[in-house]
Parts: sequence; structure tokens; C-alpha cells
Amino acid sequence: MKNLTLIFAASLFLASCGTTTQTKFDAYPAMYDDRQPLSVLVIPAINKTTAADATDYFNVTITEPLSNTGYYTMPVEIVKDIFLKEGVVDSAMIKGMPTSIFRKNFGVDAVLFVTINAWDKNYAVIAGNVTVSMEYVMLSTDSNEIIWQYSATQVVDTTAQSSGFIIADLISTALTTATTDYVPIAKQVNYQAFAGLPHGKYSTLYRADGEQEILVSLKDAATDIE
Amino acid sequence: MKNHSILLILTIIFLAGCATPNTGYYWENYSGTLYNFKKNPNEKTRARHIKELETIIAKAGQKGSRVPPGVHAELGYMLAQNGEKSTAASHLQKEADIYPESKTFIERIYLMLGLEE
Repeated sequence: MKNLTLIFAASLFLASCGTTTQTKFDAYPAMYDDRQPLSVLVIPAINKTTAADATDYFNVTITEPLSNTGYYTMPVEIVKDIFLKEGVVDSAMIKGMPTSIFRKNFGVDAVLFVTINAWDKNYAVIAGNVTVSMEYVMLSTDSNEIIWQYSATQVVDTTAQSSGFIIADLISTALTTATTDYVPIAKQVNYQAFAGLPHGKYSTLYRADGEQEILVSLKDAATDIE
Repeated sequence: MKNHSILLILTIIFLAGCATPNTGYYWENYSGTLYNFKKNPNEKTRARHIKELETIIAKAGQKGSRVPPGVHAELGYMLAQNGEKSTAASHLQKEADIYPESKTFIERIYLMLGLEE
């Protein structure tokens, strides 16, 4: 606990000093020219864990943060139904396919693959947490190249929603989603992932966040993917 | 592994300190009602999620903001499954009007649902 406080204090200090290492523009140059997508097809999450329930947590919470970053996104549940009709029961089946098929069939500029690599719940008497490891890879349906990627592993406290303080609207979501603790947690993880994503056309920050600095770890983490 | 978590925390705190991005969307409890419907698909949870989508649209109307992406499409899709075909079609059309880039996708939904275009 003491450690956490120290980390928190240290991070506030570092944040205020602006010790960051890379701008969004330098990290993701493709997102600042005509390769930047207007529309993004979110492929239903690929779940590599044994926790079957984790898939839904991420699928139902990804549209909101991605849209709020300024991109047109399609409802994941409809996409899932379309895939099922085409015989695609698992998104892993389509991961290696040329992405041009998604431009042809959905008219989208980019596709986003989301992979859940870890979703490990730890229960304790007074405190619980979940270790979450995620990968996000966005590919252009024009060139098939990776235009944005992110991956991270983190431990999220599930007892007090202690991380919820970070973004104010997450708190209210946590309070109103009485259904389960894991919906707001997955949403929070998705929001964090898109914090490093250059903003799209529907955001007031469109083409205005290139100088926004992100820690190089975002990029480093992302390069672990391959 | 540990390094990544700490760096992530640092990043988040830093980013949170930056200006809040604004698309002006209101999402209400979209994720929550969708999750409940997914988890226990029945008439009650379906009706609840439809109501949430209608609330999101109404709220955007009140605030004069854009209806978030996919909301009209999802509502149209669910209403079509309920057999309310004309209301469904008008919502799908609205999605394509607000977001012209959704045209191919919306045409695909029309086909899948067997709706007249």
C-alpha cells in the first residue's frame, strides 16, 4: 500500500515535470496522413485465456472509448453475427487474412484486432484483483500495414475500483454498472489502451494531438507483439 | 512485466492530466445493458438495452450533439429482430445519414435482415 502511494506521488511528480519521451506523431506517423482511418471495424476479441467470460467484457466495452477517440466504429455484436453467418466462429480464424476483404465487405478503412492474453482473477478476503494482458493491432485495409498498436499487462484492483479515480467519467460508470465489477474494469482497460491512439475525425483533437507526448513504453510494449 | 505496469500507471496519470478529448457523445450505461443482454438474453434484458439505445438518441437530441456511432444501427438491428421493420429501416437509414462511411455496412445489415432498401 505504501508502495502504491509512493508510486502515485512519484508519478504525479514526473507527470508535472513532463518527463516524457515521444510524441504521438513520432510514435504513430501513419495516423497523421491519409493512412489514418475514418472508420474502424473492431473484430470481436480473440481470447487466448481459459476465462471464457472475458471476451464479452471486452467486446461490450470497446465501442465507447474507440468512438470517443473520434473514429466511426460498428457495433461489435452485429459484426459478430455477420461473421457467424459467414462461418467465422472464432476471430483467430481471420487474423492472417488480407485486410482488403474487410474494405470490400464492410467499407472500412481499418480493422482492429484485440487479443486477450491474460485475465487472471485473484481472490482474497479483503482485496481482489485481476491481471489483464491485452494486445491491440490496427491495420489499414488499403495497405495491410500496421498503423497503430499497443499492448500492456497490468494488475487491476477489483475491490475498491481504486483505479477509477483516474478518469472522472469512469467513476460514474462504475457506480451505475451494478451488474458486475468486470464491465467497468474492462472498459477502463480499453480506455487506457486508446489513450495513446491519435484522435480521429470526429474528435476535437483531430490532427491536433500530434505533439501530445506519450511515454515511449507505449510503443515499446506494442513492439512486444510480434 | 512489473516495469510495464508502473510505466502504464505513469502514462495514464500523465495522459489524464491532458485536455479531455471531446466528441460530445453520451453513452449512458450502454456497456452495462448490453452486457446484461449478452449474459442473460431474454425479453427483459433485450427491452432494457433497446430502451438504453433510445435514451442515448434522446439525450443527443436534447444536448444537440451527434448520436454516437453504431447506436442507430444497433437499435435498427434489434427492432428488426422484433419484427418492427419500418422503424428498424428508418434507424438504419439515420445511421447512414449521420455517418456516410457506414453505407456498405448498413447495406449488409439490410441484406442479412431481409429488409427492403
